[in-house]
Amino acid sequence: MKKFIAVLLSLAMILSLAACGSKDETTKAPDTTTKAPETTKAAESTNAPESTQAPAADLSSIKVGFIFLHDPASSTYDNNFYQAALQVQKELGLKDDQFIFKWNVPEGSECQDTAEEMADAGCNIVIADSFGHETYMIEAAKNYPNVQFCHATGTQSRTVNIPNYHNAFASIYEGRYLAGIAAGMKLAELVKAGAAPKVGYVGAFPYAEVVSGYTSFFLGVRSIVPEATMDVIYTGSWFDIALEKEAALKLIGDGCVLLSQHADSEGAPKACEEKGVPDVAYNVSTINIGPNTAIISSKINWAPYYKMVIEAVAKGESFATDWCGTMATGSVELTELNEKVAAPGTKEAIEKAMAELKAGTLKVFDTKNWTKDGQHLTEYLADVQDMGDFKPETNVIIDGAFIESGEQFRSAPYFDIRIDGIDDNK
Amino acid sequence: MPVPAIELKNITKTFGRVVANKDVSLSAYRGEILALLGENGSGKTTLMNMIAGIYYPDSGQIMIDGNEVVIASPKDAFRYKIGMIHQHFKLVDVFSAAENIVLGLKEKERFDLSKVNEKVRQISETYGFEIDPAKKIYEMSVSEKQTVEIIKVLYRGADILILDEPTAVLTPQETRKLFAVLRRMRDAGKAVIIITHKLHEVLSLSDKVAVLRKGEYIGTVLTKDTNENELTEMMVGKKVSLNIERAEPKDPQDRLTVTKLDAVNREGVKVLDDVSFVARSGEILGIAGIAGSGQRELLEAIAGLQKVGDGSIIYHDPKTGLDEDLRNKTPLEIRDLGVRLSFVPEDRLGMGLVGDMDLVDNMMLRSYSKGRSLFVERKSPKTLAEKIIAQLEVVTPSTSTPVRRLSGGNVQKILVGREIAAAPTVFMAAYPVRGLDINSSYTIYNLLNAQKESGVAVIFVGEDLDVLLELCDRIMVIGSGRVTGIVDGRTATKEEIGLLMTKGGHSEEEAHEEGGEKHE
Amino acid sequence: MSDLKNMDPAPEKAAAPAPAAEEKIREPLFHIVKRADIPKLKAWGIRFIAILLALLVNALIIHWLTGLNPLAVYKSMFDGSFSTKRKFWVLLQNTAMLLCIALAVTPAFKMRFWNLGAEGQVLIGALSSGALMFYIGDKLPSGLLILLMLGAALLSGIVWAGIPALFKARFGTNETLFTLMMNYVAIQLVNTMIAIWVPSGSGVLGIMNSKSNNGWLPTIFGQKYALNIIVVGLLTVFMYVYLKYSKHGYEIAVVGESENTARYIGINVRKVIIRTAALSGCLAGLAGFLLMAGSAHTVSSTLAGGNGFTAVLVSWLAKFNPFVMILTSLLIEFLQKGAGEIAQAFRLSSDIADIATGIILFFIIGCEFFLNYRIMFRHKGKEGK
Repeated sequence: MKKFIAVLLSLAMILSLAACGSKDETTKAPDTTTKAPETTKAAESTNAPESTQAPAADLSSIKVGFIFLHDPASSTYDNNFYQAALQVQKELGLKDDQFIFKWNVPEGSECQDTAEEMADAGCNIVIADSFGHETYMIEAAKNYPNVQFCHATGTQSRTVNIPNYHNAFASIYEGRYLAGIAAGMKLAELVKAGAAPKVGYVGAFPYAEVVSGYTSFFLGVRSIVPEATMDVIYTGSWFDIALEKEAALKLIGDGCVLLSQHADSEGAPKACEEKGVPDVAYNVSTINIGPNTAIISSKINWAPYYKMVIEAVAKGESFATDWCGTMATGSVELTELNEKVAAPGTKEAIEKAMAELKAGTLKVFDTKNWTKDGQHLTEYLADVQDMGDFKPETNVIIDGAFIESGEQFRSAPYFDIRIDGIDDNK
Repeated sequence: MPVPAIELKNITKTFGRVVANKDVSLSAYRGEILALLGENGSGKTTLMNMIAGIYYPDSGQIMIDGNEVVIASPKDAFRYKIGMIHQHFKLVDVFSAAENIVLGLKEKERFDLSKVNEKVRQISETYGFEIDPAKKIYEMSVSEKQTVEIIKVLYRGADILILDEPTAVLTPQETRKLFAVLRRMRDAGKAVIIITHKLHEVLSLSDKVAVLRKGEYIGTVLTKDTNENELTEMMVGKKVSLNIERAEPKDPQDRLTVTKLDAVNREGVKVLDDVSFVARSGEILGIAGIAGSGQRELLEAIAGLQKVGDGSIIYHDPKTGLDEDLRNKTPLEIRDLGVRLSFVPEDRLGMGLVGDMDLVDNMMLRSYSKGRSLFVERKSPKTLAEKIIAQLEVVTPSTSTPVRRLSGGNVQKILVGREIAAAPTVFMAAYPVRGLDINSSYTIYNLLNAQKESGVAVIFVGEDLDVLLELCDRIMVIGSGRVTGIVDGRTATKEEIGLLMTKGGHSEEEAHEEGGEKHE
Repeated sequence: MSDLKNMDPAPEKAAAPAPAAEEKIREPLFHIVKRADIPKLKAWGIRFIAILLALLVNALIIHWLTGLNPLAVYKSMFDGSFSTKRKFWVLLQNTAMLLCIALAVTPAFKMRFWNLGAEGQVLIGALSSGALMFYIGDKLPSGLLILLMLGAALLSGIVWAGIPALFKARFGTNETLFTLMMNYVAIQLVNTMIAIWVPSGSGVLGIMNSKSNNGWLPTIFGQKYALNIIVVGLLTVFMYVYLKYSKHGYEIAVVGESENTARYIGINVRKVIIRTAALSGCLAGLAGFLLMAGSAHTVSSTLAGGNGFTAVLVSWLAKFNPFVMILTSLLIEFLQKGAGEIAQAFRLSSDIADIATGIILFFIIGCEFFLNYRIMFRHKGKEGK
């Protein structure tokens, strides 16, 4: 590649050729004339303050490969990862060729091939974003012990015991809970106006990540409207605009007066805007899609994790094989509140709950707040140790609360109880 | 000298490597019938299609009344008052004659059917057509449909009329009527061009004859100054003998006895009705009839390709002396019975041969399944192909040329050659000379005669009554799927056969109806 | 002539001068003429020009859309397949898989049996071999398991293609729609089985037997994909010989060209249709097996990745010649790899790369038109009247 660049540049202009001779390693092919100067400037300016904390030489050896299931241009889920990566690149002043991105990598052997190609290309960190990438990332990790393979949303790092294989997630249930409070405030307003206290939820699969998400959302709603109930429809797909829209319309038809979703397309928010039903979203703010219905979104911000990994590798330090971001790390976020739609007092209610969560006085899955078949559970075995056997083995109810994803057990969610008040047989 | 109604100057048109017309110049005048004569494939239809706006010439000019014109579409042709009656009619079956006639017109009068009917009647009277404007197309005979087509172009004011092989689907009686109409049109000052390859028609009808040979213009002669031999020479390029030698059958024995055979086609229409006849060894049995009267179904029924109802098809095996009923047997079963039946079907490239395959693979069609090997053996088919090429003077670049690329005559030689090579005891051929030039036709006639002389029972379905009368020992005439008569080929006359052809069991219309659908 | 006018039903029209006199000659700008067969060398020349033109047009469009240097873009396109040994092997593996499916559809297409169900046949092959690995993956020695898996894959592929063929042969149903619909049945079946196998509900099965590697195809020459590639290579030779030299192949050709001819010479058309469709499904099932046991070691509804449809293009572009299909599948895989590499190298949306490959394919397919037809432009040096 670099040889070719040299040839190119010599063909192009002598000026660039000079640059090429001295900085062959760092110049980038085609747009050197337009883009590169900016990035170099950015690199210099941000590198300077950074160098006081971490040696610049270390960061310059960093090369990260990002594997995306889809193209961020069309998938909000992947875009969330992509935007975080761009943010980190800018903050750390890394050059364009230190972050390489590969879109549309299927959940098959292509993932392993791509991960290993990235390792071949000199990446010391490879990060994949989709659940189905996990087993292929593990295989790649076995073959490249000196490269750190990080996988978001995965469950196996604690059981496979490969030091260079890492999982990461965030306590997004807290974000969901807070978004649920915003929904609850709105629901209370609607109930006051005569509506039934029923909300709807469009989920992808009946999988713990989804169940945990909608349960925490529902508990947030209930903290404001205790009599609320919720219907859930699964689409059986992580990304299907038509199906998600259809499911949303079905829920609205069934009398749900407020919706939320955990699936990656804009199908549900669009349906809500069409029908004038308030909606709480995930991953991205949907105010542009539903200016009259979108209330707020919760999202995971991956930038803190990326930063942590890069800095650890730059320093040659090891880092957690299973990492869980929190509100404290800045990994769990709420997007802008749409004041136009939200009920008055929402902001204050969220801030109050947030403070209580941070202080530890409020626990989302406090067993006092929910029942299963009319019972307050005191013990629950969850499949935390992913041995591939789907057998629950760990009691996760401690001190009157279900301990959801975190450093204690596992970063990826494992709350898979269908609590009273939620009907997911729709 | 008057200005020609239409004049072609140096017209050239190619299709791929095939030069359909090469530098052709000719003129047609008003008040004249011009016969465009040429063998099949000599480029007559292509040339006329360029006047009718169907094709566009590669080079050359078209002048109408002395002005150069561009005819890029049939619409342009209409504007220049050119009307062409194609071999394949372009009519809507469920519409009446009048509706078809005004179809596509822009004038408001097309909605006033009484006015249209009046005008149609007027045209009919002027030229002597017999037509009922309210009659639906599907109720019409082929000749009536043709009449509708002609009125259609006259209605649009055409004064240059082109008819492409108009007599191919007509009985001799209907042909005579048509000619009378055409003469009246000529007398009305129209320019009439008739495409044909039948010499006697040319001589009886036209004022001038323009001859094309292999896409090239040979010349124009006045009909009164010429004769059959001269025209043939112009068409073919060399003198040919037009006599077929007919030997007396030697020791004829019954080979195939068909008794009371019935068949219906997929649409449930009866295509064979109580057919009985005998084919004998050492004899050529001709089958005459309007196209689509059941000839194809009869041969296919014998060959095991057409399901039949009642009746029997008994094959008398000359070797064993046993009788086998071939009724509703598959071709494979017939072959397994030891029946040596060869069949040259009407559809040469769609049934007899595979167009995209080369000569060798086409030779293999009959023989590939022999032997237990999983693989095909191409050596003997190749030898056979080479033999046929040599014996029948097939013009082909090589044995590995797809047969589609060969000319019609050469394709037929390959097919007939292959079928003869199977050493048959019964040899059936459907329209084996259709589309062939005169030389090739005579090669085929000679091959049939040779088969007959070697003791094969030959069944020959033909369309040219002159040829049938010259070639066959007996002629069976069928109409509407029925045998209307079996006559002696040596004594029968054309008129006699022509009458039998229209004497089907059903009404005349029905017979024609089927003919119109199936005629190629 | 004038005295005859009265007999004409439309005399005023007939007598009017031809409209050409007033109007300008409107000769069409160009018209299309069928070509004679052109020599092979010239044909390849035209194809070469088509590719050059495609690259040129692409370069302009890329530059116009992104402002990038097209040469650098082409360089990175090339890098997608050839910059490292691994990429090259991956290229070969992906080509082999695409080629395998293309080989599967070829006999059916040659017979004019429009098998658009290869995607489903691949999936069902992968599913049935995957089911064996899931249920008895640790109970049998690897070799035996592999054989069973292979058998199951071939059989299920045969069934999946055989059903539409049976219906076509018996009832004359349209195989295009039928095979297409069978894809969706296969996809739903895969999703259902995964939902049963994975109680957590994630919808992801993941690699099976990653520790024991039981039922995985062995690594040879140190290359995990080498066996796949060799198998498909042998299959290519087999298919060439089968189509060209076997009686079956001959029958396929005859039935495909003309069913009438086939009946005329006594071929049992129904039998040939069913047999050939079964072979087609069988080989698609093999592709499913190779994907499952030889590379992915899992089952998912995206395993075939649309190759069941791309394979039709591969086969068609190669005019059903298995050896030429090596080239066409290689080309398509190369373009796809290149597109991915461009998107990666320049952080472009994959759409741009797809546009680029689309243009190249357009030119390659489009040039076939110019191999068959010639365009004649307006005659030159001709005077109006």
